Amino acid sequence: MKVLNTIWLTCLAVCLLVLCACNRSDANQQLKQTVPIRFALAQMPLNLDPRYATDAASERVNRLIYQSLVDFDATSNPVPKLATWLMVSPREYHFSLKQPLANFHHHKPLTAYDVKATYDSIITLKDSPQTSEYSNISSIQVKNETLVIFQLKQPDTHFASKLIIGILPKDDIEKKHDFTHHPIGSGPLAFEHWQNKLALKRVRDGQLILFTEVKDPTVRVLKLLRGETDLLQGDLQPELVSYLQTKPDITVKTVAGVNFSYLGLNMQDPLLRQRKVRMAIAHAIDRQSIIDKVMLKSTRAAGAILPPEHYTNAGVALPAYAYNPGLSKQLLLEAGVQLPLKLVYKTSTDAQRVRLATILQAQMAKAGMNLEIRSLDWGTFFEEVKKGNFQLFGLTWVGIKTPDIYAKAFGSQQFPPNGFNRGHYADAELDAMLLAEDWPAVTARIQAQLPYIPLWYEAQFAAFDKNITNYAPKPDGNWDDLATIKRSATISNHAH
Amino acid sequence: MFLLHRSARFFTVVFGVLLLTFLLIHLVPGDPVEVMLGESASSADREALRAELGLNQPLLQQFGIYLNKLAHGDFGNSIHTRTPIAELIKTRYPTTLRLAMLSLCIGLFVGIPLGIYSALKSGRWQDILVTIVSVRISAVPAFWLGPVLMLIFAVWLGWLPVSGMESNTSIILPALTLGFGLSAILTRMTRTSLLEVLNEDYIRTARAKGLSERVVILRHAMRAALLPIITIVGLQMGSLLAGAVITETIFSWDGIGRLLVESIERRDYPVTQACVLIVALSYVAVNLFTDVMYRLADPRVRMT
Repeated sequence: MKVLNTIWLTCLAVCLLVLCACNRSDANQQLKQTVPIRFALAQMPLNLDPRYATDAASERVNRLIYQSLVDFDATSNPVPKLATWLMVSPREYHFSLKQPLANFHHHKPLTAYDVKATYDSIITLKDSPQTSEYSNISSIQVKNETLVIFQLKQPDTHFASKLIIGILPKDDIEKKHDFTHHPIGSGPLAFEHWQNKLALKRVRDGQLILFTEVKDPTVRVLKLLRGETDLLQGDLQPELVSYLQTKPDITVKTVAGVNFSYLGLNMQDPLLRQRKVRMAIAHAIDRQSIIDKVMLKSTRAAGAILPPEHYTNAGVALPAYAYNPGLSKQLLLEAGVQLPLKLVYKTSTDAQRVRLATILQAQMAKAGMNLEIRSLDWGTFFEEVKKGNFQLFGLTWVGIKTPDIYAKAFGSQQFPPNGFNRGHYADAELDAMLLAEDWPAVTARIQAQLPYIPLWYEAQFAAFDKNITNYAPKPDGNWDDLATIKRSATISNHAH
Repeated sequence: MFLLHRSARFFTVVFGVLLLTFLLIHLVPGDPVEVMLGESASSADREALRAELGLNQPLLQQFGIYLNKLAHGDFGNSIHTRTPIAELIKTRYPTTLRLAMLSLCIGLFVGIPLGIYSALKSGRWQDILVTIVSVRISAVPAFWLGPVLMLIFAVWLGWLPVSGMESNTSIILPALTLGFGLSAILTRMTRTSLLEVLNEDYIRTARAKGLSERVVILRHAMRAALLPIITIVGLQMGSLLAGAVITETIFSWDGIGRLLVESIERRDYPVTQACVLIVALSYVAVNLFTDVMYRLADPRVRMT
C-alpha cells in the first residue's frame, strides 16, 4: 500500500511538474507574443490603402496587411498568390482563386466579387496614382465566387504581373471605408491601431508588431543598442552598419540587393548626345572602389536595370564599364570636347547621396571632367528631373520586377508625362527591340548606347536584437519576414 | 484702444501671411495633381482632378475659396495621408507647445540666475567660467547636443528613453537640448543688461539708502534689466512654437515643426499652408504677449 501511495504521489508530482512547466512555457510563449516586436523606420507609411499608396514604406506594410492575386519569385517571374491564371489571349485573362478561399481580417471570405470591386474601384477613382496602370482594362466579369475574367483594350502579355494590388472587401469599398487609416486585408498581419505608432497583429499567433518613425539614423542605432527598438532595416550609412556588426547583442544580416542606382543623362544636351562622351563618363567611375570603401560589402556593380538573376537575363550579368580614366580622356578628345568638360550633377540632400557625388566628382576630375554638384531638397530635385531640367542626375529604381521598365524608361514614346524617359532618349532600333520583347537585345543595346550610366545594385541589411530570430533582409528591401519573425526563448532584458 | 490697435495689426499680419503663403505655394516647383496621380497619369485624368480640386480656376478665385473654407475651420486634407489637416494640427501643436514651455522654463530658471550671478561676480573667475560655458553652449548645435545627451543619459546611464513620446520622461532630453541653448543666450543677455543697470545712479542711491543687496538687485536693478530679456524670451518663444525642427526630428517628437518640414519635402501643399498659418499665428500671439509683459515690467512703456 505504501508503495502504491508512493507511486501515486510520484505520478501526481510529475503531473503537477509537467502542468507547471506547461503553464510556464505557455506563460513564456504568451509573454513573448504580448511583448511587441518594435521596428524603427526612417519613414512611416503614409497610406495603408493600396489603391493610393506609392511610398516604399506603405507598399512594404501593405504587402503584409493585404494579399494580391499575383506575386513574384526570386527571378521576378510572376507566380500565383491568391489566384492562378490562364492567358486565354493577350486580351483575356482568367483568374481562379485558390481553395480554400482566404479570409479577410473581419472573417469574411475573399471572393471573386472582392477582386472585381477592388480593380473596378481603382479604375474609377479620380485621384489614385494607380488608375493609369490599369487603364487598359476594358471589363471585369465574375463567373462565380472563385473565377474572375479580365478583358483588356490592348493586348498585354505581361498583364498578370500587374495584378499586385492588395484585394479589399467589396462591402467596405461600397461603404467608402477609410482603408488609409483602418485597413482590412487578408494578409498575415492585421491592423490593430495607428496613433503615434502603427500596430499590426499577426493573425496566426497574435504577435504584436509596432512600427515607429525615427528619422535620424544615429538615433535609430542608439535605440537599438538601448533596447528601445528590436529591428532596423535599411537607411543607415555603412559606417553605422559596421559599428553595429561589432556589437555582441546585435545581429546584422546583409543580402545582395536588386534596387538599381544609376546616373541619368539629358540626351537633349549637345555634349551628352554624343555616345563617346557618355562612354567617357562610364569609364571615369571606379565603381568597385566606391563599393569597397563607402557601401555595404554585398553591393554589386550593375550593368543593366534588371539584375543578373532576373528571368530576362537568364543569370548572365552584363559587365559594368571598367574604370579607365585614360580611355575616358581619350574618348572626350575624340569627341572634340575641350577639356576640362564641365558638367552639372543634381542630387538630393541625403548625406550618403552627397557623399557619393563628391566621390564621383573626384574620380571624374582624373578623367578631365569638372563636375559641379547641386544638391537640392528631394521635392525640388525630383521636380527638376521630371521636367528634364538637368545634365546629370543620380537616382535609384526601387522594386522593379517587370521588363516593361525598359520601354517606360527608354521608349521614344515615353517622354514625360507619358512615361519615365526623363532624358528624352530616342532610338528607333531600340523601339523595335522593345516591341519584339527581345530582352537580351534590349539590354545589350542599352548598355552599348548608355542612355543611363549604370552604377550598382545596393545591398540590403537588417540589424536586430540577438533575441530576434526568423528574420532576414530581402533583395528588394521588403519586410515579408515580419510574417514569421520570432523572439527567442529569452525575453530581452532591455527596457520595453 | 490698445486692444483695438493690436487686433487690427493682428488681422493684417494674418491676412498678409495667408496671401503670401498661398502665392508662394503656387510659385514653387511642383504640382499637387502630379503628386496625387503620379507621373504616368493621362492628361485627361490630370485635368479632371484639377477641375475637381478647383485648381483650374483663376488664382484670386482659388484664394477666395481657400479663405472661405478657412473661415469655416476647414483646412482641407493631406494629399498623401488623406487625413483632415485640422486633426493633424490638433495632435501636433499641443506636443510642440509642451516642449516649448518646458524648454522655456529650463532656459529661464537656469539662464537668469546664472546671468545675475555672473554680473555680480563681474571680472572674477566665476564670471569668466560662466561666460566661457554659456558661450560654448550657445555655439553647440542641437544636432550634436541631442545625440550626446542621448548617449550619456539613455545609452550609458539608462535613466531616460533615447527618443519617442512613449513615457512621461521622454520630454526631458529634447527639452534639455532646447533649454540649454536658450539658457546660454539668457545668461549672456541678463549679465550684460544687469551690468549696465548696476552702474546707474538710482542703484547707487538705493544702496546709499541702506537697502539690502538682495532688494537692490531683485527689485530695482532687475526690473530695469528685464526689458531686453523679455524681448529675447519673446523671440525665442516664437521660434520654439514654430517648432524646433532639428530637435523634434532627432527625438522623434511629433510636433508642428516636423510636420511642416515633412510636408514641404513631400510637396503636401495644404499641410504646408496650414502649418505656416499656425506658426505665424503663434508668432503674432507671442509678440502681443511680449508687449503686455513690457508694460508690466515698466509702466512707463506706452501702448499705442
